[in-house]
Amino acid sequence: MDIIVCVKSVPITTGAELIPDKARKDVILDNIPFDINEWDEYALEEAIRLKERFGGNVTVISVSSRDIDEAILKCLAKGADRAIKIVDKLVAEYDAYTIAKILYTVIKSMKYDLILCGAQAGDDGYALVGVMLASLLRIPYVTFVKRLELINGSLRTVRELEEGFEEIVEVELPALLTVQTGINEPRYASIMAIRKARQKEIITLDLKSINFAESNFDGWIEIREFFTPERRKKCIMLQGDLNEITTKVVEILRQKGILR
Amino acid sequence: MHVTGLFDKEELKILKSLNFNFCLQCGKCTASCPVFLRTELNPRTLVRKTLYFVSQLKICPPLSISEISSVWACTTCSNCVIYCPRDVKPMDIILAFRTILIERGNVPSTISGALENIYKFGNPFGISSLKRAEWARDLSVKKASEESEVDLLYFVGCLTSYDNRARNIARSMVIILKNIGVNFSILAEDENCCGNEVYSLGERGLFEVVAEKNVKRFRQYKISKIITTCSHCFNTLKNRYKLENIEVQHSTQFLSDLIDKAEINFSKRIAKKIAFHDPCYLGKHNNIFEEPRKILENIPGVTLLELERSRKNSLCCGGGGGRTWYEVTGEISRPSEDRIKEAIDMGAEILAVACPFCLLELEDAVKRMGYENKLQVLDIVEVICRSLGGL
Amino acid sequence: MKEILVLAEHRLGKLRDVTFEVLTKGRKLAQENNARLTAVVIGYDIDPLGEELAYYADEVLIYDDYKVKEFHSEYFRQVLSHIILDRKPEVILIPHTSYGLELAPSLAIELNIPIITDVLEISFENGRFVVIREYFGGKLKAKVTLRESPRYIATVRVGVSKSEKNESKGQVTKMQNLDLMDIPYKRVIGLIKPPPEAVDISSAGIIVAVGRGIGDAKNLPLIEELSKAIGGVIACSRPVVDMKWLPKERLVGLSGKVVKPKLYLAIGISGQFYHVYGMMNSELIIAINKDPNAPIFGVADYGIVEDLFKVVPQLISKIYGKMYGEENK
Repeated sequence: MDIIVCVKSVPITTGAELIPDKARKDVILDNIPFDINEWDEYALEEAIRLKERFGGNVTVISVSSRDIDEAILKCLAKGADRAIKIVDKLVAEYDAYTIAKILYTVIKSMKYDLILCGAQAGDDGYALVGVMLASLLRIPYVTFVKRLELINGSLRTVRELEEGFEEIVEVELPALLTVQTGINEPRYASIMAIRKARQKEIITLDLKSINFAESNFDGWIEIREFFTPERRKKCIMLQGDLNEITTKVVEILRQKGILR
Repeated sequence: MHVTGLFDKEELKILKSLNFNFCLQCGKCTASCPVFLRTELNPRTLVRKTLYFVSQLKICPPLSISEISSVWACTTCSNCVIYCPRDVKPMDIILAFRTILIERGNVPSTISGALENIYKFGNPFGISSLKRAEWARDLSVKKASEESEVDLLYFVGCLTSYDNRARNIARSMVIILKNIGVNFSILAEDENCCGNEVYSLGERGLFEVVAEKNVKRFRQYKISKIITTCSHCFNTLKNRYKLENIEVQHSTQFLSDLIDKAEINFSKRIAKKIAFHDPCYLGKHNNIFEEPRKILENIPGVTLLELERSRKNSLCCGGGGGRTWYEVTGEISRPSEDRIKEAIDMGAEILAVACPFCLLELEDAVKRMGYENKLQVLDIVEVICRSLGGL
Repeated sequence: MKEILVLAEHRLGKLRDVTFEVLTKGRKLAQENNARLTAVVIGYDIDPLGEELAYYADEVLIYDDYKVKEFHSEYFRQVLSHIILDRKPEVILIPHTSYGLELAPSLAIELNIPIITDVLEISFENGRFVVIREYFGGKLKAKVTLRESPRYIATVRVGVSKSEKNESKGQVTKMQNLDLMDIPYKRVIGLIKPPPEAVDISSAGIIVAVGRGIGDAKNLPLIEELSKAIGGVIACSRPVVDMKWLPKERLVGLSGKVVKPKLYLAIGISGQFYHVYGMMNSELIIAINKDPNAPIFGVADYGIVEDLFKVVPQLISKIYGKMYGEENK
C-alpha cells in the first residue's frame, strides 16, 4: 500500500509569548523550536502502521518557506521511506490555497493508494489544505478520521462529529484522509534514528524546479496584520505565595457559596 | 507497543557486548534493588532470561515483551552493581534494553515527552530556555556571556533552574558564594540539560547532542572549574563528559574545602537533629560521603544523625533513572517513603540532601505521608545558608 | 452587494444551535452591506426546519431530496454549487463544524471561490473582504483578507455569539429536484450516537477539569482528591482523552460536552478554543496553569500562574481545613 503523508513543520509555542514582527505580517520566531504539526504526527504514525501491516511505501511531503530538515528527518526516522521537500523563500506560509496547489503540482504525477494529512495545523488551524488537495486531485476524502480499516479494498472510516457523535464513511481508494488526534499513539524517534535517516532518499525541490511560477499565481489568504488579542474578560491573577493564593481561592469559593 | 519479539542483529550486538557470563544467579542484585517487589523489575531474572539470546543456554526461558518494559522502573541507583560478587553490572543490561526500546521508538509517553522537551527546549519541562535564569532575577548573578573571564562556573541544572521548590537551592548557593566572596558566573540561558537522565534512559544520541551543546559553551567561555549543587549533573559532568582541563566539583566538595581553609563563618546556631541522606549519584556512584557530613558537623548546634542505611548502603529516593517522569501503574509505594519513615523513626528533625531530585522526591513523600510538622527536607546548602544568617 | 448565503446545519431532525449563530452574524453583515440574507437547508423531509429558519433570514431555500437525507459532502456540494452559480451570492457562510469542514474547502476549489475558516468577525473594508481570526492556538489574532473575487466563502466559529430571532418571517422557497449525480466512491453508512454514560458531566454544578498539564494518568488521584474535597465532578480537555487517561464522556469542548457549571476549575489546561467553547459560559472560572500566556486566562475570572502540583495539594488541605473549622494557617 503506497501512502503519501503531508506534514507541516510548525513553531512550538507552549509557554512562549508571541510577538508580531515589525511588519506585523509574521511573528517573531527566534528562540522558538519547531516540530512536526501534532495532527500530522498522528497521520504519519497511522501511515507507518498501515505499512507495517500491509507492506508498501510511505512518502512524506512538506512545503515551507523555512528550513524543515529536522521535521523531515524525524518522519524518516519514524519509518517513512522517503521524503520530498519543497522549500522556497517565496512560499506563502499562511495561504492554504498556495500550499495545496504546490502539493498538488508535485503529487499529481505520483502513484499512491492513500494520502494522509492531519485534520488541521496547530499554528493556523485552517483545516483547509487536506480537502483542497483531495479536490484538486479529484479523489474522495474524509475528514477528522478517528479510526480506519481496510475492508474488501475500500476504506471504512469513523469520523468525529461534535457532542460525542461519530459517523461511518466508506471511500474507494485512492483517497485522502485527514486524521484527528488520538487515532493512535505516535512512536518516539531517537536522535540516532534521526541521524541514520539522512541515508534515506530526500528529494529537495523549489518552486522553480516544479514549474510553480509564483508570479502568475494568485494566492487566496493574505495576512493584513497580526495583533495581540485583548483579554476578553478581565482575569484577576492571584498573587502571593502558595499559602496566600490557596487561602484566597477558598475565600472566593466561600463567598460564592460553593464551599460552606 | 511496537516491539515484535526477537532482537535484530544490531540489538543482539549490544546485548552480547555486555558482561554477564559469570552470573551466579545469587540474587543479591534483586535483593538490593529499591524497586523490586514494587514493580515488575527483577534484575536477576532479567540477566538469566537475556542469557537465552546471548549464550548457548537455551534452558533459560526467553524474555517476554512486558519483562523488557520493566526496565523503565529502574532508578539507576547502582545497588545491583555494587552488590554483585561477579562484576556482572545488571544496571548496564537494563540501560542496554532501554537503548534498544528507545531505538525501536517504544517508549512510555511521559518519558518520550520529557526527552522531546530536552531536545527542543534544553530542559524536560518544555519551558522556554529564555526563562532558565529566572530564579536569579533579583539576585544580580553574573552571566558567563557578559564576563570577560570566568573563574568559576556554577552549573545549575534543569530541576534547580525551573522547579519552584528546587530553585531555593540555587538561591541559597548564590547567597553562600556571595557571602564568602567567591567570584562565579552562571551560563543562564546558555545552559542546557546536562543529560544525566537522558543517558540513564538510554537515549545515547540525544545525550551526545546535549553534551556537545554544553561543552561548546564551556570552551567558548574558557571554563576551568565547574561546581554544581545537583548530584546528577555532577556525576555526568565529571564522568561522562570527558572534560579536559576542567575541574568538576559537587557543592559539598567545594564548600567542605572552604571549611578546611576556615573561609566560611557560620554565625547562626541551627539547634536541630539532622540526618544526611546520601544521594546515589554522589555516594554510590562517586564515593563522596565525608564532605557533606563534615559540613553539617561544622555548623554550630547541629546534632548529626547517621541513618541506619547510609553511605554505600543508602536507600535510594527513587527519583533517578528517569523515574521523575515515569510512574509504574500499580506501584504500591515509592522508595522515598521508606526513607522518610527511617528518618522519623531515628528522631531526625531535618533530613538533609545534596541533590534536587532527592529533595523533591523526599519532600513529596513527607507531604504524602502527612509528616510536614515532623520532618523538614532541606538541601545542605539551604541549611548552610540559614547558618550564615541568610534566608 | 446583493446576497449573503448561510448553510444551515441539522442532525437527527433538528437544527443545530450553530445555525442560528451564523445566521445572526450573517444578518449583521447583510445589514451593514444592504444585502439579503438567505438561509439554505438541505436534507430530506425538512419543511419544519425551513419554517423555523424563516425567522432568521429574508429567504429560506429548502432542498428536499431523499439522496441528501444524510449529510454527504458530495451531494451537498452539488446542491450548493447549483445555488451559488444560479444566485451568485457575494458571501457564503458555513458553520465551522465537522460537517462544515468536510464540505466548504472542496466547494471553494470546485467553484474557485477564495475561502477562509474559523472566522470571528467579518466585514467589508473599502470593498475588500476582511476577517478576524485566531492563530497559534489563540495566542495571537490577525486581520486577514481574501484575494479580490466576486464571491467569498467563510466558515464561522460557533459557540461565541448569541443568536437573535427576527420579528418577521422571511419567505420560504422549495427548490426543484436537481437530479443529483450518484457518488458510488463515497458512502455515508450511518451515525453513531454517543453511548449512555456512567457520568453526565453536563449536569454537574462543580467541575474540576484537567488538561495536558497533568502529565500522566498517575497524577489523576490528586485531582480526584480535589474533586472530592470540593464536591465536584472530573472532566478534561482533549489531550487527556487522546492519551486515554480519561474516557470520552469526561471531555469538555467542541468534540465533547458543553457545560455551564457554577464553578469550573481548569487545571493544566491551555485554553485553546476547542476546549473553551465547551466551558466559557460557566458561572465562575478559576484557572491554574504554569504558562502566564495560556489563552485560558483570557476566559477565566481568576488565574493562578503556578505549578498545579504545588497548588492543588495546598488547596486540598486548605479546603479540608476550612471545612473542619480550622483557623487560617
